[in-house]
Amino acid sequence: MRFKTELKNIRVFSKLITAISALEKITWVRMDDDQVRFTVIPAVGSQVWATFAMDAIFENYHIQSAEPSNTINLELPIGPLQRALRSAISSTSASVRLTKRDGIPVLSFTIHTTTHDPSAPGGFNAGHATGGYDDDDGNFPAEVSLRGHEREKIITHDIPVRVLHPDIVEGTMQPNAREPDVHIRMPPLLQLKAISDRFTKLASTSNTSSRGAVSTSSPRLELSANMHGQLKLRIATDSLDVESTWDKLEHPELDPSHFDYPIEEHNCMRFKAAGPDKWATVRVDGKDWSRVLGVGRLDGRVIACFSNDNALILYVYVPQLEDAGGEESVVTYYVSSYSA
Amino acid sequence: MAIISFTLSEEGMGIFHDALGCISKFADEVCLEARKDKLSLSSINLSKSTYVCIDFAANRFFSAYSFQGQGQTREKFHCYLTIRALLSIFRPRIGADKDRESTVERVDVSADDGPGIKSRLIAKIFCRNGITATHALQFEVRNAVHASFREEEACNHWTISSRTLRQLMDHFGPGIELLDINVEGENVVNFTCFTEKAARTAEDATVLKKPLHTSIAVEIDEFDNIQLPEEHHIVINVKDFRNILQHAQITSGELSASYSDLGRPMRLTYHRDGVACKFILMTVLKDALPGLKTKKGVRNNQARPQLDAAAPPASDKPGVSAVGNSRPAAEASRTEPKVQQKTPVRPQRQSQFQIRPPPLPPASTLRSDSLFVTQDNDDQMWEPVNPEEDEDAEDIGRLEWDPNHVGHMNAPEIPMHALTLSPRTHPKEGSSATLPLAPRKPRTRNRRTWPRCLSPAWNPPRDYRRFASLASFRRDRERTVSCGGVLLDGHRITIVG
Repeated sequence: MRFKTELKNIRVFSKLITAISALEKITWVRMDDDQVRFTVIPAVGSQVWATFAMDAIFENYHIQSAEPSNTINLELPIGPLQRALRSAISSTSASVRLTKRDGIPVLSFTIHTTTHDPSAPGGFNAGHATGGYDDDDGNFPAEVSLRGHEREKIITHDIPVRVLHPDIVEGTMQPNAREPDVHIRMPPLLQLKAISDRFTKLASTSNTSSRGAVSTSSPRLELSANMHGQLKLRIATDSLDVESTWDKLEHPELDPSHFDYPIEEHNCMRFKAAGPDKWATVRVDGKDWSRVLGVGRLDGRVIACFSNDNALILYVYVPQLEDAGGEESVVTYYVSSYSA
Repeated sequence: MAIISFTLSEEGMGIFHDALGCISKFADEVCLEARKDKLSLSSINLSKSTYVCIDFAANRFFSAYSFQGQGQTREKFHCYLTIRALLSIFRPRIGADKDRESTVERVDVSADDGPGIKSRLIAKIFCRNGITATHALQFEVRNAVHASFREEEACNHWTISSRTLRQLMDHFGPGIELLDINVEGENVVNFTCFTEKAARTAEDATVLKKPLHTSIAVEIDEFDNIQLPEEHHIVINVKDFRNILQHAQITSGELSASYSDLGRPMRLTYHRDGVACKFILMTVLKDALPGLKTKKGVRNNQARPQLDAAAPPASDKPGVSAVGNSRPAAEASRTEPKVQQKTPVRPQRQSQFQIRPPPLPPASTLRSDSLFVTQDNDDQMWEPVNPEEDEDAEDIGRLEWDPNHVGHMNAPEIPMHALTLSPRTHPKEGSSATLPLAPRKPRTRNRRTWPRCLSPAWNPPRDYRRFASLASFRRDRERTVSCGGVLLDGHRITIVG
């Protein structure tokens, strides 16, 4: 079993890992010749299944195993991975390989970096810009040249990993929700998150004040969408009922080749025909939803699929990675709905 | 006439406050020692592993300085004060709307002591708006305890930019305890972090709870005035080192270290105009480093008992003025000549000045760590909502992977002195804390809302491909609408040249 690669698009990779770190401490990574997948399945809360083309985040990679398509399954702690990627963000080059240290498999990051000195007198560029140094300050040029010769440092991070046997992986199932009723392109997640978080806080405080004790369960937000470009976010407790509505949202077209029946028979057409008052609604946990919305940092395009009263699936298409050759760079969130 | 009186400018007060802030990371009390030519703040931590001393030059740092020693205090005057009180007196005062009127112009400090005189340290703060605040602090007079450091023994030394060093420390993750500074390769100095726990949790189940193992190689050219033998290791406490670097970075451009071998003290120094900072850290005993040995495949389980045997006697508390006097004369006579004060430090410094890796880093580590971590500020808005606002619990909860923190979720601030001194109890606590965190496997839960079917992993109908407009999205971005010389491109507006 061999795996060795250089990293690219580290900033995006790092953002993804930060986004999923809100949900779980461990991620399951599955790599093969073409794709790398990150899966997070918390005991409680939403699941993430992210798929990237190997090309999107790896460069000059080499992967080899006894399994078909050279598949390697690893389990690794997200915190250390996040830390390692953070060191790599400002690096000149970073590579990763699967190896062993003290008999324990590790993902070993090798990062070449320089420390930068923002307070240093601007290095050489500043000198050229001002057309030279003050003559009366003899030490100045010497100091600049000293800074300019800042050496490269090599950082190695070893992340302990567990290599998973194919049998263990076999039992893991990806959720498959009912055929959605409404699919809609989400408004900017930062907006949605700000309002969702506001609602969640409102509900927690109103619960506290009306009952005199903090309720143990997190507030439930009600999210609804119709097939007429509208998305509604609502919080209702004993003492308050607030809602926000977005409109003029886009509905992506379905690709007929993915269905074995005519598109006209799809749920969403039924919802569309029923007019703007036909809503598909899910109830989500306020805190969990906030963690899910953290994926907004990836700046992707987000399509939400609502299965009325059942589930919400978010597909986050990551543009930076698609541009980088990863046609299929999608982060999928499975958010379950509480019953009313 | 007070024995000691001095005046600090506004800037001087800030520097004085920074110095106190740095010392407060190590101890609750500070020893203020005044002489004709300098004022020193010094302290030693409770486990006697770290000694700090910051000297302020009488003629360069202060706006005015006078020392009028008499009798007992002819040479020097010293007293102990609680740092917390000093910190609040010297805190920087920022007026509303940056109103310079309410800022501090200067501080006059004086202290007097003697028969029939109230022992008080008086600080008068003169604000620009005419208000004068007077603080009177009680102090305790007792002998100062100083750690000694044998210059001639410390043949290894280097100097490096304190900023560079601090930036390097940023790369280390949370939950590490020890830093190994070693020379193993050619022309490279390695900074390697590890914890003692790393060596103990080798079983498969706990592998994922091991902390990130990080090593940073720095070329020798980056150091000035460097002298290190080959194959040399020195191991120090990371938390102390970070605290020192934080102060070093705001104080001075360069930091120098000198030391000899494992188990012998290391001295770190840096200075700025009129201020000289000196730290003496005890380095970890060779035998106490199973981690270091495991790297080479050797284990040594006897390290801890030896540490125990070398533990200081109970009476040997810092700040006990009788430390020197109570010692047998024979022993006192063996005191090294370099001891700075009359309080002798025993030649067997392992016992007097003993480090053991602090068993439990205070839970507030997270907070202090964040000072060293390049924070993506823009990222803050993506953090999950936390309606109860109990940030501490949430933050520490996030560190769950670090077994250190597990037991202390509700104790965000454990002062240094609360650290258990017996090294034997520590591993137990550590390991028991790791137990509740059973290893997790990817698994499915019977989630009420995924009732229908589950596809076998990774053979799912690739739902995300279902949108025909996926491709059209991409076209979207390229499609631009011409509108009177301005291209509307989604959210961006581009002016066409």
